[in-house]
Amino acid sequence: MTSHIHPSIGAMLNNARDWLTHEHSLFRSLNLEPTLFGKGKATFIVDLPEAFTGEGDMIHGGLMTIIMDSIFGLTVFTALEEIKPIATINLRIDYIATAKAGARAVCAAHCIAVNDDIAFVSGDLKIEDDGRLLATGSGAFMVGTRGPVKGSRL
Amino acid sequence: MNTAVTDLIEHSAIADWLGFSAEEDDSGLVYALAFDEKHIGNPLIRALHGGVISAFLEVAAQCELAARLGAGAGVKTVNLDIDYLTSSRAQPMRARARITRMGRRLAFVEATGWQAREDKPVAKAQFRLRIGAAD
Repeated sequence: MTSHIHPSIGAMLNNARDWLTHEHSLFRSLNLEPTLFGKGKATFIVDLPEAFTGEGDMIHGGLMTIIMDSIFGLTVFTALEEIKPIATINLRIDYIATAKAGARAVCAAHCIAVNDDIAFVSGDLKIEDDGRLLATGSGAFMVGTRGPVKGSRL
Repeated sequence: MNTAVTDLIEHSAIADWLGFSAEEDDSGLVYALAFDEKHIGNPLIRALHGGVISAFLEVAAQCELAARLGAGAGVKTVNLDIDYLTSSRAQPMRARARITRMGRRLAFVEATGWQAREDKPVAKAQFRLRIGAAD
């Protein structure tokens, strides 16, 4: 494995970035902003929008899972040597604390390994301002899933 | 319909974002996730976003507890495990939730989501929820 993102993956992620920030309404509302992109690792700053509160003005845990599943998937792509479709097999998420809507959070993820077409990812979500931990998680992804897909799962 | 469940749905912005609803049949509560373009994870495969499915099942698990405990029980999800058993389609999803164990301070709830047929689950999740949480 080289330490850099494969050029074809890089090109795909660049295209995906435009699409993520302009076309896709879920990701647009999260206002994804990449701060680190390397082979097998990615960090994004995200909004915690009011549309995802549970009761009162605190965000629902489901938003944290949505963010972590999204960033974990992106992180898998950075680790691949060629573009292949991926699919989440399973996720485990611990909700350490909640946050007020309107805050910004940092999701950092690391693809631990890709072995026998399974990618293993772990990461966490923290408040951007003070680094307070909101959630940690891990997941496994199938790489090269069957089906009509020729591009990303983004 | 249990008022604690309808209250929870009405006061939750994420339930509104999900197009979440609940109805009752002979076997208990059935929850629904409306289909919407914003629930799609990858436009190329036209599947629902895995995180959206998990959020839907989490709200379903919380509704199941609200139905049992009534309003104001202070339910807070501690953690979850979710398996994506088969690929989802660009369609609504339905779910049922089952309380595996109800303790004084903690509940274990399993939620199962399906699309075409209830006996072909798309995702299954386990939630552990704190009851009587401070905030």
